Amino acid sequence: MTDEKEFIAQLLNPKTQNIAFQRLLSEYQKPLYSHIRNIVLNHDDADDVLQNTFIKVFQYLKNFKGESKLFSWMYRIATNEALTFLNQKAKLNGITSEALQNKTIDNLKADVFFDGDEIQIKLQKAIVTLPEKQQLVFKMKYFEELKYEEIAEILGTSVGALKASYHHAVKKVELYVTSN
Amino acid sequence: MKAFKLENEPKITTGFKTPDYYFDDFSAKVLQQINENEVKVIPLYKRKDIVVMLVAVVFVIGLMIPVINNYNKSKEFDEASLEAYLSYQSNLNQYDLINQLDTKDIEGLNKNVALEQETLEDILSSNPNIENLISE
Repeated sequence: MTDEKEFIAQLLNPKTQNIAFQRLLSEYQKPLYSHIRNIVLNHDDADDVLQNTFIKVFQYLKNFKGESKLFSWMYRIATNEALTFLNQKAKLNGITSEALQNKTIDNLKADVFFDGDEIQIKLQKAIVTLPEKQQLVFKMKYFEELKYEEIAEILGTSVGALKASYHHAVKKVELYVTSN
Repeated sequence: MKAFKLENEPKITTGFKTPDYYFDDFSAKVLQQINENEVKVIPLYKRKDIVVMLVAVVFVIGLMIPVINNYNKSKEFDEASLEAYLSYQSNLNQYDLINQLDTKDIEGLNKNVALEQETLEDILSSNPNIENLISE
């Protein structure tokens, strides 16, 4: 925690800011990319959202109170950015967010930045049927392999509630894959 | 059909890939954007509030032009109306007028009354109030 406080101080100090921010970027760009890509599904969109996320992180660093960890604060910004992006894109196309995600999944087969097969596509289709919160919990636990404590800090819920949420999500996903 | 169980299956990955070297130049891209945002200068004509303010100022000045014109006009008297006012409306008498004359005015008057001796005598002899005029 002391290390983190020191690191945040370096990020806020104009003299050390650039080097510290570069360290932040190289440490978090891959996990945050995966997190965002799992929500928006397509590389170009993930790239846009990831850039916006880091720009917002930079802009709001001075307001960061240190009440939560830097890691969970950044994940929260990334999640909000990705969900806002999805909703705006859906609105622009005049369809629901679920319909947009289904459309994106249908296009995955032709996506050069996707090398999955039928089971991956079926799993994605199963996830889209879940409520938004369960989708997030499932993706963060199953794909990103984050700990319940970390997810709890990012989403601001209790570990118990998350476990229940993940359990329900897994059941629904299994049912979908079995019956489709 | 056999029920699908996630825990019994080998781990299913997302299948998502990134372009080669994507992360190599990602930080440079973000840092460049941050620097661009920091030195971004908004030209004056793009500042909506300034434009609105300028339009308001021009509008107010435009509205004031007729008011200012009328205000100036109302203070200007033309000679004829001043003369008419002084002749018919004021209580000015001969003494008031004399008090306002300075040496130059009196010299001017002297020139104007430079009459021929004969004419003067005629006027004086024909005027029955000669005594009053002399005493004044």
